[in-house]
Amino acid sequence: MAGMKTASGDYIDSSWELRVFVGEEDPEAESVTLRVTGESHIGGVLLKIVEQINRKQDWSDHAIWWEQKRQWLLQTHWTLDKYGILADARLFFGPQHRPVILRLPNRRALRLRASFSQPLFQAVAAICRLLSIRHPEELSLLRAPEKKEKKKKEKEPEEELYDLSKVVLAGGVAPALFRGMPAHFSDSAQTEACYHMLSRPQPPPDPLLLQRLPRPSSLSDKTQLHSRWLDSSRCLMQQGIKAGDALWLRFKYYSFFDLDPKPPLPPLQTDPVRLTQLYEQARWDLLLEEIDCTEEEMMVFAALQYHINKLSQSGEVGEPAGTDPGLDDLDVALSNLEVKLEGSAPTDVLDSLTTIPELKDHLRIFRPRKLTLKGYRQHWVVFKETTLSYYKSQDEAPGDPIQQLNLKGCEVVPDVNVSGQKFCIKLLVPSPEGMSEIYLRCQDEQQYARWMAGCRLASKGRTMADSSYTSEVQAILAFLSLQRTGSGGPGNHPHGPDASAEGLNPYGLVAPRFQRKFKAKQLTPRILEAHQNVAQLSLAEAQLRFIQAWQSLPDFGISYVMVRFKGSRKDEILGIANNRLIRIDLAVGDVVKTWRFSNMRQWNVNWDIRQVAIEFDEHINVAFSCVSASCRIVHEYIGGYIFLSTRERARGEELDEDLFLQLTGGHEAF
Amino acid sequence: MGESSEDIDQMFSTLLGEMDLLTQSLGVDTLPPPDPNPPRAEFNYSVGFKDLNESLNALEDQDLDALMADLVADISEAEQRTIQAQKESLQNQHHSASLQASIFSGAASLGYGTNVAATGISQYEDDLPPPPADPVLDLPLPPPPPEPLSQLVVKVHMNDNSTKSLMVDERQLARDVLDNLFEKTHCDCNVDWCLYEIYPELQIERFFEDHENVVEVLSDWTRDTENKILFLEKEEKYAVFKNPQNFYLDNRGKKESKETNEKMNAKNKESLLEESFCGTSIIVPELEGALYLKEDGKKSWKRRYFLLRASGIYYVPKGKTKTSRDLACFIQFENVNIYYGTQHKMKYKAPTDYCFVLKHPQIQKESQYIKYLCCDDTRTLNQWVMGIRIAKYGKTLYDNYQRAVAKAGLASRWTNLGTVNAAAPAQPSTGPKTGTTQPNGQIPQATHSVSAVLQEAQRHAETSKDKKPALGNHHDPAVPRAPHAPKSSLPPPPPVRRSSDTSGSPATPLKAKGTGGGGLPAPPDDFLPPPPPPPPLDDPELPPPPPDFMEPPPDFVPPPPPSYAGIAGSELPPPPPPPPAPAPAPVPDSARPPPAVAKRPPVPPKRQENPGHPGGAGGGEQDFMSDLMKALQKKRGNVS
Repeated sequence: MAGMKTASGDYIDSSWELRVFVGEEDPEAESVTLRVTGESHIGGVLLKIVEQINRKQDWSDHAIWWEQKRQWLLQTHWTLDKYGILADARLFFGPQHRPVILRLPNRRALRLRASFSQPLFQAVAAICRLLSIRHPEELSLLRAPEKKEKKKKEKEPEEELYDLSKVVLAGGVAPALFRGMPAHFSDSAQTEACYHMLSRPQPPPDPLLLQRLPRPSSLSDKTQLHSRWLDSSRCLMQQGIKAGDALWLRFKYYSFFDLDPKPPLPPLQTDPVRLTQLYEQARWDLLLEEIDCTEEEMMVFAALQYHINKLSQSGEVGEPAGTDPGLDDLDVALSNLEVKLEGSAPTDVLDSLTTIPELKDHLRIFRPRKLTLKGYRQHWVVFKETTLSYYKSQDEAPGDPIQQLNLKGCEVVPDVNVSGQKFCIKLLVPSPEGMSEIYLRCQDEQQYARWMAGCRLASKGRTMADSSYTSEVQAILAFLSLQRTGSGGPGNHPHGPDASAEGLNPYGLVAPRFQRKFKAKQLTPRILEAHQNVAQLSLAEAQLRFIQAWQSLPDFGISYVMVRFKGSRKDEILGIANNRLIRIDLAVGDVVKTWRFSNMRQWNVNWDIRQVAIEFDEHINVAFSCVSASCRIVHEYIGGYIFLSTRERARGEELDEDLFLQLTGGHEAF
Repeated sequence: MGESSEDIDQMFSTLLGEMDLLTQSLGVDTLPPPDPNPPRAEFNYSVGFKDLNESLNALEDQDLDALMADLVADISEAEQRTIQAQKESLQNQHHSASLQASIFSGAASLGYGTNVAATGISQYEDDLPPPPADPVLDLPLPPPPPEPLSQLVVKVHMNDNSTKSLMVDERQLARDVLDNLFEKTHCDCNVDWCLYEIYPELQIERFFEDHENVVEVLSDWTRDTENKILFLEKEEKYAVFKNPQNFYLDNRGKKESKETNEKMNAKNKESLLEESFCGTSIIVPELEGALYLKEDGKKSWKRRYFLLRASGIYYVPKGKTKTSRDLACFIQFENVNIYYGTQHKMKYKAPTDYCFVLKHPQIQKESQYIKYLCCDDTRTLNQWVMGIRIAKYGKTLYDNYQRAVAKAGLASRWTNLGTVNAAAPAQPSTGPKTGTTQPNGQIPQATHSVSAVLQEAQRHAETSKDKKPALGNHHDPAVPRAPHAPKSSLPPPPPVRRSSDTSGSPATPLKAKGTGGGGLPAPPDDFLPPPPPPPPLDDPELPPPPPDFMEPPPDFVPPPPPSYAGIAGSELPPPPPPPPAPAPAPVPDSARPPPAVAKRPPVPPKRQENPGHPGGAGGGEQDFMSDLMKALQKKRGNVS
C-alpha cells in the first residue's frame, strides 16, 4: 500500500523509507529498505522485510528491535505511528532467541538459547523448563563478573562446554519422561551427557583451584555478587546482554518450595536437576566461604560431600528403571538370590540367619585412669551382640571377664593414623557413673574395620547381624585407603594428581581455611567420624540433608547489600532474607536491628534519589539509599520474597507472573 | 414385690452387664477360655481389697488393681495350656508369693532384662508398702507365656501426691502413656500435661518428649534409683508453640519488641511457626549470651559467651570473636538430654537457680561428663532449654505438639457433650488401642473368631446405646449400663471416665453374657467376670471418691448406697456393709480359694441383695447372680 507514486515517480502518499538492518545488532549488518507509512502495521513491515530479503529460512523467531529506545516491536498490530517510529529509527530484524553461555550452580558451562525479548522472568522460566528445574521463580540470572586476570591466560584449560542450543522445547507441553530423563534430553548422546551433568553432583573440585578462586574476605565483599543480578521485568536485550555472553544461573531467593515432595514422589524421581543444582550451589557457597560455618559443621558437610560423590561415582544414582520394570524386578530378584546363595555358601542358610556373628580376637586395650602409667595390654576380647568383654587370656574366656561393656549408646571415635600403622578405636561408654573411656588397638586395617563397624552398630543398638555390617566394613576400608592416598607418602604431596585420581583429597571437601588449619591426615579421621552418621543415606537423601544443614546455618539465605540509612553518615550492610531485613554494622558484622516482612506495611522506591523507604507496623519507618547495588535489586528482592511467600501448595507449579512483576517491577515496567 | 423385685433384677442385670463389660474390656480376647480369666480377675480384686485394708491408701490400691488387671489381661492371652496350669495353681496355692514377687516375675518373665525388671520392682516397692504381706496376691502369672513384649510397671506420681502404677510395654511412647493417664484421671487433657522425670540425687528433671519410648528411658535407671516419674502440667513443654515470638523474636528489637511480642496475634504466630517448623529444615531460634558454666569437677562457675546453633552449643574462646569461624564447640546434642537443674545454687554453688544440665541419658550419678550451665533469669533459661530441644528434636517437637493439641481438642469437645456421649467418642481411641497393642503381640489364636464376635457385639452395643437406655433390661446388659451410669448419681467425674473406659469394649458384655448363659460349668467364682475396670475408677484427681468409695468397684458403689438403698432395701436384707466387708476379706484371703471370691467385695454387697430374688431374674442372669451370691456367702463365711 505504502509507496504509491505518480507516473513521474513522486510519492503521493505520505510514505517514507525505513531502513531495517537484518541480523543482530551490528553496524555492518546488511540492511533492507522499505517504503512505509505511519499507518503501516508492524506485521506488514515484517512481511515486507522477509520478502525483500528473499531468502528461504524460518523467520518465525525474528522480530524488530528498536535500538534507540531499547525496545522490541512485538505488537504486530500496532502501527509505526503508535510506536512512534520515524525514519531515523535504527531497527534491527533479528532472532528473539539467542545463544548464551550459562554458568550453572555446579559451575559447569552450558550453551543454550534464551529469549532476548521476553522479560527475564519468563526467559528464566523457559530455561528452567528446558533444564527441568521446577519453581523457576526461585532462580535468576547474574552477569558474569568481568575477568581481571587476562595476563595469566596461559594454562586455562579448555573446559567442556555442554550444548543445548539445538534443543527446542514444544511450548505448553509438560516434558515427558523417556528413559528416565525428560524426553528432550534423550535425543542424542550429547544431550544425554548434558542431562547427567545437570542431574548428578560433580566431583569435588581440585583443592588448588579452590584456593585460587576468589573468596569474600569481608561483608562488603559479599555485597559484590548481588550487584550483578539482572532485572526480572526487562528482557536480556534491554539489559545489554549480547548473544554469546556468559551469564550465571543461580538460586536467587532462598525460599525453596516443596523441596522434599512427600513419599509418592521421591525427589530423585521428580526433579533431580533442581535438587542437584541446589546442592551444588550450597556446596560452593560453603567451599568458597560465602557462608561461614563452624569446624564441626564443616566436617558434616565434608562427610556428606564425600558420601554423595561416592554414590554418584558408583552410579547408584537411582538409575531409572528400564522400560520394562517387570524384567528389572526379575533381575533384582535373581541377583538377590545369587547374593544369598553365595553369601551363605559356606554355612547353613538357617545358621547364618539365626546366629549373631561374634568377633573374638587378641587386641590391645588401654584404659586411661588417673595415676596410671600402664599402657596398652594384650587381652582376649570377645564382642558379642552389643557387648564387649575382655579376658586376661583366651583360656579364661569361659569364665568371668575382667570387664564387660555394653556399647549401646556409646560414642565411637576413630583414632587412626594409616601411615603410622595406628588403628585405635576410642570408646566412650556411658554408665550410670559417667562415661568410661577405653581404647582398642587393632593390628591392621582389616581387623580395625571389622571391629570398628561392630562398635558403630552396637552404639546404635544393632548387632553385627545387621544387614549394614558388611557395607560398614567396606566403607571404613574405603575411607582408610583414601587416607593412605590422600596424605600418605613421606613425599607428602598432598595435592598430587594421583590423590584426586585415586579417590578423594579431603582438601577438596572443605573450605580453604580448614585446609590451612588441618593437615589432611587430621582431616580424614574427622570426616570419617562424621561420615558414620550419614553413611546409610541415599543420594537424594544425602543431598537433601546437605541442603538442610546449609539452611540451618545462622547466616543462611542472607543477601547482603551495602546501603546508607537515612540520617546515618556511614555505610552499613542491609541483609535481606526470606522473612526479614537485617541491619548490620559494616565494620563489626553485628546485627543492629531486624525487621520482619510480616510486620511490613508497604515499601516505596524513589527512583530519582535511589532511595527505598519501608513502613512497618506501629509507624516504624526506615529509609535507605543503596550503595553497592541499584535500588531495584533491593526492591526486587523484597518484592520477590513477598511473592514467594504467597505460593501455596495447592496451586502447584502455576505462577502468577503478573503478581511477581507487579511486586518486583519498577516504574518503567508499567 | 413383683415390681420391686423386677426393679432389683433389672438393676442387677445392669450391674452384671457392667461387670461383664468391664471384665471384657480388660481382656476381651481372653474370653474363649472363660475359666482362666475369672480367677485372675478375682485376684486382682482381692489385691485391691487387701491393700486397702492394710494400707488405707485407696488410691494406690486401686492402682494396684488396675495394674494387676492389666497384667492379668495381658498374660491371659497366652496359651491355654498355661492358663489351665495357672488355674490349677491358683486353686492350690495362693499364698506364697508376694505381690512384688509376682509382679517382678511378671515383668522379668516378660522377657525384660534384669535391670529393667529391677526397676519395675523398685518402683513397686515405693508404691506399695504392704504388698508383700498379701498372700492372695501371688498371681499365677509366673509361667509367662511366650511374651514378645517386655513390660514394665511404672509408678507415676500425680500432682496431688498420690501415685498410680501403670503397665508400660516396650513399644509405648510417652504420648501413649499420657493418653493412658488421661483416661485414668479425667484431667482436661490439655497440651501441658507431661511425663516428667526427676533425679533427686542429681537434682535434675526434664519432660519426656512425647515421642520418646518410655521403657527405653527407664531402662537407663539403676536398680536402686530414687528417680521418679511425675504426671503434671508444665507450660514450658510447648511454650514455643503458644508464643513463638518469645523464642524467635526476642532480643531482636530491644524494647519495643517486648510490647509487640505480647501483642502478636494468632495469625502471625501461626505464620511464624510455619516459617520455623514447616520449611525444608526447621529454624533453631537464634540464641546467644553469657552463661555460667560449671567447671568440670570443680565448684567454680565460669562465665562464657555461648551460642546456640542447629549443630550444637558453641562458645567464644577467649580473645576471639563470635563469628562462625572462631567458635569452639561446647557440646552436640546427639548423645545428651537436656534437664532443668533445681536448687543448684545450694547444691553446686551456682550463681543463680536457673540452671540447665546436659548429660548422657545413661549417666545417673555425678560425673565430670555432666555439663552444668546457669542462666541469669528464668526467661533465658526457658529460651535455652526450648532452643536446645528444638535443635535436638527438630520437627518432631512440632508434630508432637500437634498431636497433643488434637488430643486435647477431642477431649474437651467430648467432655462438653456430657458423660453419656463421652463414652461413645472415647471408644475409637480406646478401642483400637487395646485392640492393637495387646492383641497384636499376644493373642495366640482365638483372635479371629473372637474378634469377629467382638465386632458384632460392639456394633450391637453401640446401636443399642444409641437407641436409648430405656430398652435395656435383663436381656441386654449393655443397654442398661449406659443409662445407669449417669443416673447412678455418681460423682460427676467418675461416670465420664468409667464410661469411656468401658466403652472401649462395649462388645464384651454380650460375649460374656453369651458364655455365661451358655451354662458354663465354671465354678461361680471363676465365672464372675471380674470387673477389671478398676483402673478407671482410681481417679487420682477425683477428690470426691475417698478411699472408701474406691474400694468397691467404684462404678457401683459410690452412688448406689443412696439410691439403691431405697429400692433394694425394702426387699433385701440390707446389703452387707459394703466397705467393711472388704476389710475382713483380706485376712481370710490367706485362706486362699475363697479369697478369690472375696475380692469382689465391692460388688458382692449388692449381689447379696439379689439372693432374695434369684427366681425373678432371667436365666442367664440368674445364674450369674446366684454364682455371685454363693461366692459372696462363701467369702462372708470366711470372713466371719
